[in-house]
Parts: sequence; C-alpha cells; structure tokens
Amino acid sequence: MDECKVIIMGFGSVGQGVANALSMKKDLIKDKTGVAVKVVAAADSSSSAISQDGLDEELLVKTKKEKGKLSAYPEFGSDKNGADVLDAVEYDCLIEATPTNIVDAQPALSLTLKAFEQGKDVVTSNKGHLALKFKEVVGAAEEAGVEFKYEASVGGSMPIINFTKDTLASCEIKSIKGILNGTTNYILSRMTSEGSEYEVILKESQELGIAETDPTQDVEGIDAACKTVILANSLLGIDATYSDVKVEGISKINSQAIELAKRDDYLIKLIAEVSPDNLQVSPRLVKRGSSYDVSGTLNMATIKTDLADEVSVIGLGAGSLETASAMLTDLISILKSKY
Amino acid sequence: MRINLVLELLDSPGQLVKALEPISVYGANLVTVIHKRDYKNENGKVPVQLTLEGEHEDLKKVVDRFEELGFSIIELDGVVRKEKITTIFFGHIVDQDLRDTMDRINKLDGVVIVAFDIKLNGEEKSTALINIEADIGKKQTVFDKIAEIAEEKELLVINEV
Repeated sequence: MDECKVIIMGFGSVGQGVANALSMKKDLIKDKTGVAVKVVAAADSSSSAISQDGLDEELLVKTKKEKGKLSAYPEFGSDKNGADVLDAVEYDCLIEATPTNIVDAQPALSLTLKAFEQGKDVVTSNKGHLALKFKEVVGAAEEAGVEFKYEASVGGSMPIINFTKDTLASCEIKSIKGILNGTTNYILSRMTSEGSEYEVILKESQELGIAETDPTQDVEGIDAACKTVILANSLLGIDATYSDVKVEGISKINSQAIELAKRDDYLIKLIAEVSPDNLQVSPRLVKRGSSYDVSGTLNMATIKTDLADEVSVIGLGAGSLETASAMLTDLISILKSKY
Repeated sequence: MRINLVLELLDSPGQLVKALEPISVYGANLVTVIHKRDYKNENGKVPVQLTLEGEHEDLKKVVDRFEELGFSIIELDGVVRKEKITTIFFGHIVDQDLRDTMDRINKLDGVVIVAFDIKLNGEEKSTALINIEADIGKKQTVFDKIAEIAEEKELLVINEV
C-alpha cells in the first residue's frame, strides 16, 4: 500500500477542518486511490506536534482546542515551528493553511517555496502569495516539477479553479463575474431583507462570528480582490497582481441605496469582475432572480466561455470543513495522478 | 414583406460581405443597401442601411443571425432600438451640481435620462437611482461618462453587472 505523508501548517479554523475531514475521509481516500494518508506533523504559529509514525487527527484538534497549543500534544509535542518543521520530518505533501497576509505573503510564501525546493507537493488555502506573486510561486512549482494546488483559496467549497480548468477544458474563458466573499454577501443580504443600516448588521455579524473583529479585509473588498487576481492568473492567463485590481468595498452602502435598487427590482451585491480589460471588485446592481441573486454567506460565479456560453457555480464560500473539502479534493487529485 | 434596418459595422475589410451573407443563406432578398464608409457613428462604427424582402420567418432568421454575429441593429423599421441602463449614485449629488450631472449625460448623442429618484439625507450624502435609455451600442459611452462624472464629483457609482 502506498503512503502519503502530510504536514498541516497552520492550525486555525482551516487547519483543524483539514484534520477533522481527514479523520472522516481517510478510509474513503484509501478506497478511491489506494493511498493511505498519514499526518506526520501539524503546526500552529508557535509550536507543533511531530511524529514520523503519524499523529491522530482528532487528538490534534482536541489538544489545540483544550490546551491552545500543539506542543501540548501527548509525547510528540514540540516547540519547533514554521520552516523548521519541514526539516524535522520526512513528508510528501505540505497542506498549507496559515492565515492570508496581503502585505508580504508570509509565512506562506517562504514555507511554500521551501517545500518546492525539497521536491514536495503543496496544497494551499492561502491567498496572500497567490495575489502578490502568482507567477513566481507557480513558476517555482513548475521548475521543481511538483504539484501545487489552490482550489481552496477561492470560494471555499464552491468548485471553480479545478472545475474551470478540467471540466470546461474545451472552452476559452472570456470572463468571470461573481460574488467571492461570503461575509459581505451576508451583510448585504440582511440589509436588503431587514432594511437595517450597514453598521447595525456588521456588528451583529461580528457577534455571530461571520465577520471578523477587524472586518477590513472583507468589507473593503480586499479578500475578493485577492481572489480576483487568483482567477485572472490561473483561469484567464492574465499576468496581474493585487495592485491591478480596482477595489471598492461595501462600507458606503446604506439602506437608502438598497431601497432604491429594490424599487427597480435590483439587489446590490459586491461583485468581482475578471476579464482581460477589467479587474474590479465593486458594489453592483444585479437583477432579482438572476444567477447573481444568492443570499447569506453563499458565493457564486458565472463563467463566460466561447463554446459553452455561461456556466454558473454556487457554494458555501467559507467554513472550516467546507474549505477543508476543497483542500482534500486537491490532495486526492494529487494522489490519483502521482501514486 | 419588407423590413428596413440599420446595422453598425466595424470599419475593417470584409465586414459588409459578412453582413450580407445571412440574407441569401436564409432566402431573403436584398432590395437596397446604403453603405457610406466615410460616415461614422460616434463609436467609430459604420452604419449600413438595408431593405430586405422575404417571408416573415426568413426575415426573422436573418435578424437573429445578425445579432448572433455581433452586428448591432440600431434601427428596425424606423424605430430606434434602445437599451435601458440603471445606475445608483451616492455622494453629495445635489451640492455637486445635479443639473450639470444630468445635462452631461443627456448631452450624449442618443442618450436620455428617463427617470431620476433621489433620497435626501439632510446634510449627509444622498443616494439617487437613475434610469437611462440609450441607443443600441451606446452603453459603454454612457458608462464612461458616468465614471468620469463620478470621479470628478467624488460620487460612488453602483452600475449593473
């Protein structure tokens, strides 16, 4: 039986989701691919748990939840963190789930490049290095002859990157327009259904854990702009970086604008547009009942192609297991092609 | 039956031939064609006036094919065809010379504001929804003008997808 040894880097919501999903799906993956996946290390921002013989996924999550640190993992807890973990154990694939950093892309950038240098495959949910240095990172993976997959970086569980590359392989992609941020979609949906003001709904969303304490990345469109860059590079072959995207968030949208739009049968949504002559994230009017009319934290995207015309996808854009589902799918596709 | 229509063609070689092809393919007759290459519309395209004769069904197929091929039909039987554009402005709309904003949009050839709905919010920024009708093919000109006004007057624009 083949074996794939993985390291989970980053043990917040996504990293824990991957551990949980792996423990649920290990047997299925073995059946489907004939490969046994073994977690040989997991690391949070300050510590790790490392064992060449494999760690227990559920115990990793339990340790992190109860003790706050992976170094508290029985017997195999360690103070090693960051890139040192990649040197401490033999592995095949890095599952990189550290938080997105849109300033200098670290630590994801150096971890990923180091894994490539070591000849290892990487699956990521991170947007920072892809939004700032897409060409460099993808180029490094090609040069090293390793697999680099990033489905989870856009749209959580909503299939879009692999879907467009593989399932729509016969088509040229003309443009992609969609709702790529669940938090803002939730806020705008509630403003529409309740007629409340932005500040009120934002506060409630924070209390519900849908919006973060510092909501800037979501409400100012930064998160959606990162995803715009990733789609532009990976699916339309546009050599763009974060600074090429025109960005306007939703913080100026008030209930009056929403009410006026409603009167004409429109909704206001934060729309990301990816086309050769426009990379833009901005509030836009969408017709009620159109494919853009999805509410709550859902994400959606309409892919305009030459042969198939328009194809739309919808799915949950965030969440621990939802994002992990995309990463596991990436891992499975690596197992299928390489083992 | 007969129909009169005005198509817009790109000013590049072979466009007229490409436009005439569907007419014979679907068994319609070309009665008149007026094509003056030295006259161009605002958008740089060349208008071609056609009169066609044939069965209703065949003529419909020809018109559909024109649209499939991406030729804009700007006039059909003397009626100028319109596109509807809806947009929202947010900002100091009145203080930033509302009259001027409307005039500049209305001054565009073949473009007219048909409805304007504003919500005032005391001294705060106000919100307005504008419905515009534009001749076919003028949409981008309208969007460009709106973007220009918005930048100058610091207004947030919410355009249609």
